[in-house]
This record gives sequence, C-alpha cells and structure tokens, in this order.
Amino acid sequence: MKKFLPPLIPFVVVTLAVEWMVRGGWVPSYLVPAPSAVLRALFDSRDELAAAFAKTSAAALIGFALSTFTGMAIAVLLSSSRAIQRSFYPYAVFFQTVPIIAIAPLLVIWFGYGMKTVIASAFIVSIFPVIANTLTGLLSTDPALRDLFRLYGASAGVTLVKLRFPAALPQILTGLRVASGLAVIGAIVGEFIGGQGLGSVVDVARTQQRVDKVFAAVLLASLLGLGLFALINLISALTLRRWHTSEQTR
Amino acid sequence: MNRRTFLGASAALLAACGKPAHNQKTLRLALNWKPDPQFGGFYAAPYQKHGLDVEILPGGAGTPTVQMIGARSTEFGIVSGDELVVARSRGNDVVALFAVFQNCPQGIMAHASRHVASIGDVMKEGTLAIQRGLPYARILEKKYGFDHVKVVPSPGGDISAFLHDEKFAQQCFVMSEPLLARHAGVDVKVFPVADIGYNPYTTVLATSGAQLKSDPDRAKAMVAAVREGWGAYLNDPGPTNAGMHDLNPSMDAAMFAEVAEAQKPYIETHQERTSLGSMTAERWMTLIGQLADLGDIPQAMPAQDCFRNI
Amino acid sequence: MPTETGRGVGLRLERVRRVFENNLVVIEGMDLDIDAGEFLAVLGPSGCGKSTLLRMIARLSPPDGGRILAEPQHFQTSFVFQDAHLLPWRTVLDNTALPLELLGTKRVERYIQARAVLAQVGLEEAEARYPAQLSGGMRMRVSLARALVTEPRLLLMDEPFAALDEITRFNLEVQLRELWQRLGMTVIFVTHSISEAAFLANRAVVLARSGGKICLDRRIDLPPQRTNDLRSDPHLGQRLGHEMKLLMGAMEEE
Repeated sequence: MKKFLPPLIPFVVVTLAVEWMVRGGWVPSYLVPAPSAVLRALFDSRDELAAAFAKTSAAALIGFALSTFTGMAIAVLLSSSRAIQRSFYPYAVFFQTVPIIAIAPLLVIWFGYGMKTVIASAFIVSIFPVIANTLTGLLSTDPALRDLFRLYGASAGVTLVKLRFPAALPQILTGLRVASGLAVIGAIVGEFIGGQGLGSVVDVARTQQRVDKVFAAVLLASLLGLGLFALINLISALTLRRWHTSEQTR
Repeated sequence: MNRRTFLGASAALLAACGKPAHNQKTLRLALNWKPDPQFGGFYAAPYQKHGLDVEILPGGAGTPTVQMIGARSTEFGIVSGDELVVARSRGNDVVALFAVFQNCPQGIMAHASRHVASIGDVMKEGTLAIQRGLPYARILEKKYGFDHVKVVPSPGGDISAFLHDEKFAQQCFVMSEPLLARHAGVDVKVFPVADIGYNPYTTVLATSGAQLKSDPDRAKAMVAAVREGWGAYLNDPGPTNAGMHDLNPSMDAAMFAEVAEAQKPYIETHQERTSLGSMTAERWMTLIGQLADLGDIPQAMPAQDCFRNI
Repeated sequence: MPTETGRGVGLRLERVRRVFENNLVVIEGMDLDIDAGEFLAVLGPSGCGKSTLLRMIARLSPPDGGRILAEPQHFQTSFVFQDAHLLPWRTVLDNTALPLELLGTKRVERYIQARAVLAQVGLEEAEARYPAQLSGGMRMRVSLARALVTEPRLLLMDEPFAALDEITRFNLEVQLRELWQRLGMTVIFVTHSISEAAFLANRAVVLARSGGKICLDRRIDLPPQRTNDLRSDPHLGQRLGHEMKLLMGAMEEE
C-alpha cells in the first residue's frame, strides 16, 4: 500500500479539483467532462467498452508480441556483422520515423478492415525500440568475456545464447518497456482507420460530441498501456532480481 | 507594490492567459475541411470593404470547429447544422448565421455496376464506409439495419478503397467524391441522404452567442461580406479557385471548376441573391425533432435559439 | 625445444612480432623459451606490450610475424583477467563450471569438478551465491577456480590481483603459488608489481618501455616455498629485497 500512496494523492487531488471546476461552471463541460460524468459513461456503456477493450487489448498484445520477437531477431542479425549493420540499420530507423497516420490507409488496402490492420499498426509503431535497445545490448558485451568464451571453443551460437543475450537483458527490457506503450498507441491509431475497439469508440463518440465517453475510452486505453508496462516490470524484477543493480536497490 | 496592485496585476495576468492572445481587430474563421469549393464564397468575400480583418484558418479531418467556437479560440467557424444543435444541447452557445448548403449534400455512393435501386439495397451486402457517429448514419441504421453490411470508418475524401472493391459503398458529398470516382474511371450511383428525409443545413457559418452579443455590428458586417462573396463566387469561381488550389493542391484546377459547378443547385435555391444563406425556423425545428427522436439530444429546444438571419 | 614434463606446456616464441592498426610496432621480434611447468613473471611499464604478448600466447590474436611453438601441441589454456569478469546472472558454482559446460562436459560431472576446485580456493560454502553478493577478493578466487577447473596446462594471468587490497593480495599470492606447486602447469603472470613478481615467480622477464625488448631475464633466487614469512622474515626478506632491486634496476634503465 505504501508503494501506491505517493502517486495516488496527486491523482485524487486533481480529480476532485476538476470535478469542482466543471460543476461550478468555470470549465465548460463540453470541453472537459467532469470525472463523475466519465465514471457514469464508463458504467452506462460498460458492455460496449468492455468488448472494445478486449479487442484493443488483443490487438496490442499480439502486435507487441510480434514486434518483440521480430525486433529481437532483427537485432541479432544486425549484431552479427558490421557490414550487415551498416547496410540495414537505416531501414530499421524507417520504422521509427514513418508517420503511422499517413500509412494507415495503406495498411487497410493490404490487410482489410479489421484485426489484421490494427495488429500491423501496433507492430509498426512498437518495433523500433525493441530493435535499437536489443542491438545496443548485444553490441555491449564485455570483450573479456567474449575472449573467455573463445578460449573454450564456444561457437557464435553458444556465445549468443549463454553470454550476449543474458548480458543484454537489462537493455532489452528497457526497449520492451517503451515498446509496450507504443503498441497500445499503434493499436488505437489502427482502430481509427480500421474501425473497431477503443479507437473506434473514441472516433464515434467524438463525432457525437460525447466528451465523457471519449475520456472513458481514453482512460481504458491508458490502463491497458499501464498494464503492459507493469507486466514488463514484473518480468524485469523476476529475471534481474538476483544480479542487476537496477532491481536491487529497493 | 501594495496588495491591491498585486491582485490587480495577477487578475490581469490570469485573464490574459484565459484568452489566446491575438490582435483584437482580426476575426478568425475556422474551416472544418481543407480549402475547396464548399468554402468558395468565404475566400471570395470582400471583408475589407465591410471594415473587417478576417483570417481564414483551413481545417482537415476532425477539426473541432464547434468546440473551438465554444472555447473562443476562433470567433467564427464552419459547422454542420446537426452538430450545432447537439453542441447547444451540451451547453455550448453556438449560433448559426449563414447556411451555404440549403440542402444537405451528404450522400452514399455505390458502384453503378451493382445496379442498386435504392439506398436500402446498398445495405444488403458488402462494405459501407460511414462516420457512424453522425446522426444520418444512425437514421440509416434505424431504418434499414446494418446486419448484412460490414460497417467501417469513412476514409474521408480518399476513394482508393472504394475503387478497389465493387461492393464498397462510401459516404460522400454528392458533388465531390462521385466526381473523383468518375475521373478514375468508375461510374457511380449516388443516393442523397435528403431522400430519406434528413436534410440539415450544411457548411454553416456560426459564432458564439457571446461574440454576437458583444459585437453585433461586426457579426452583421461579416454576414454581409460573406453573402457578397458567395454571390461573386457563384458568378465566377475561377479566380477564387486558383487561390484555394494553391492552399490545397490535392485537387487539380479542373476538378475545382467541376465541383464548383456541381454544387450550385445545393446553394442557390432562392431566386434573390439578397437572401443567400438565410434560414428558416421550420427547418431547424424539423432537425431538432429528428435529433430528439434519435436520442442525440435529451430534449427539444427552441429553434429560434439556433440561428439568426442578420 | 623445451620438452613436456609433468602437467605443463613448453613454449617457444620465435621472432614474434605484433603491429597495431596505427602501424605502432608493439612487439618487435621477440625470442623466448618457456619451460613446461615454469612460473614466469612478465614485468614492464604500462603500454610495453605485456598484455598483447599474453593474448598472442593464448591464441586470441595471431602474431603479425614469427611463430609460437608449443609442446605438447594441443593443450587447454586458461586466462585470468584483471577483473574477475564473472557472469553476474550465474551462481558461483555455475560460473566455475562454465569452461567445462562450454567444452561439453555433462552437468553432474562438471559440478563435481567445480566443487572440487572451489574447495581448493576455499569457497565451497559460497557455491549458491551470486557475484553481486561477493567481495572483490572472493570474486577473484572464483575467477581463479574457473580458470583451474579444466586442469589447464597453461595458465595465463594478466595483473589479476592489481585491483585488490594488500592483505587479500598477499593471501591470494600464497594460495596461487601452492596451487601451482600442486598442479604443475606453466604459469605466465603479467604484473607491474616488482614485489609480486619476485614473490611469486621462479623466473622473471622485464620488458622495455616499447618494442617488446627483453631487458632482463633472470631466475629468481628464492626458496621454492613462498609463504608470508618470506615478506616478514628479515633474512629471507633480504634476499627478496635483493631480487627486487635487480628487477627495479632493469625497469628503470629504459
């Protein structure tokens, strides 16, 4: 409980302040919904929101899983030789810079309206941090340890699995933390175009001028992102607990 | 400094923070789409002749003009009639001054090769791309049901998905997307939404009630300038189109001319140019009734509150 | 060619040359014979090429000229670095057993060997701990155990005790010497500590500041049993001091 108290206090204070300001008329309710209105919208539309939440979660999770595995595989490939790295890394950066809003209509043409487009969007938006962080981690292996492995005749594959990858784990997990939030954003953007899930709820509620419902859906999307982030933190704690400083000064 | 000076200075500072800083004399007009022929008259309007300094702010997909008016980040904005009524029901005091489209040009377009006879037939199969949150969409759903058609978000001006798929039907402005489709070699059949009895004023110049109250003379001058501008644009859209084309190169000059011609019947229904853009309480009342039936507004409201003919 | 005796390796370096990328000649044609089972200390100022020499002997980087011969030709080499360089995500036991794991030894067998060598360095109680939970001296002992687990014929050490405090260093030096006497492998020990070189080795080689030239090559004249008494006993200490003086002189000359 002690851990949750510090972030909870500002949240409660701000929520109460906003509620008071909207009720009192200092802030128009058509611009900022009162927190009580958001809660009511959450309750009134609970079935619709629950179904939308399930859809968005599925797409974000699948997209994130795909970007995790593909991103790590690409990073392993890039780390294997300087020539490969120099030739192909700029294309990986492309995933970072391409504006997803611009290519989302293209995704619809390739994948149609539905889950596949949303997953593709989540994938594209979240893969770069996985590649960048995994690559940095793999390239930062202690040279003395690499020598040690060579001394005992370890192949490149064995060195990757038993040395380079575990050593890169803290860095990889950093990349996953960033990617998890991006996967949710990517899913929502994909849903604006592809038409399902929380993104669709936001889009439709916006055209109906239902700010309360928009905020309710956005709140759920944020909780989804938070949940994924917490999951990565849990994995980090379990795997790094014994040996990495980041998980030890608690 | 003493306490009074301090409080006064703080109050002034806070007040200045509340409103976006801009030249008091400049009036802003926020569009809800990119510059194209539906705004022709606004670009052609002789504001300076009427003593006004107007800055037109082009928009795009999802520009929240009705909220911008309410938040005072623009003095004037272009909204649709139904969104204005909904905004009023939410406590946003927006008032209509000039309706460009006397008849709503919204419609559904389908491939002519499908040989569909009525709007209801479009909903029997395939895909329908609409903005589901809009009132007309829900009227369609109520009347025909969406059980047999796949509903997807409207691509907003982009017809590439439409061109690729024969069974794809899309929301459109009858003088815009259908022309684009024909140019791309696809013959289309268009079903105006007005045919099912839903006909709100569209592309409406609006302002906030507070703005109207505090500066009625300039609002009147604005409407006069806009009316004159539309008269000029209807006579000769060429020069204004050139200017808008510079701002929005996504449509070519020939297309601009074609659309400007095709939209005329929706604008000019009165015989006298002097009543271009004017509105009736009856029309607003019908709209309010339809929206109340749909449940988009909690209850009916006086039609007179929604508009002014000035 | 020094022949193989006991469990060591005889090495012969013939005109060994090493040039770095910027055309810096680190080692200019070195000739050196090392007997099997010898404890050789390599001394010299920073940058004189002693670590480079060690890496070439370990076959981690090839010489640019000359050759290195060995008798027997195939043997296991172990390396101890200046930092322990343990894998932080593995226990002491798994770290120690790592070389055998990489060589393909089955788990049961390699744990037996690892435990044995950990006992030799006095760490049998710590086998389940992680490197983060150990002191610097203990980590170095694990590193040493890891190096010995394969029963190497050649043990290369690159300033392994330089980062440790004096008492730990003294004790580890004694322990190392004992292990060497028991196991009989060839040890090449790089250091820039004159007292350490004199204490540990039975032969010392001093390299010049640059070019890898050998300034001094001397058998250390001290009894085979090296204990801490050697440092404190006045009579033995005098002999130690004498050796140190000779080494120091050679180092100061260049």
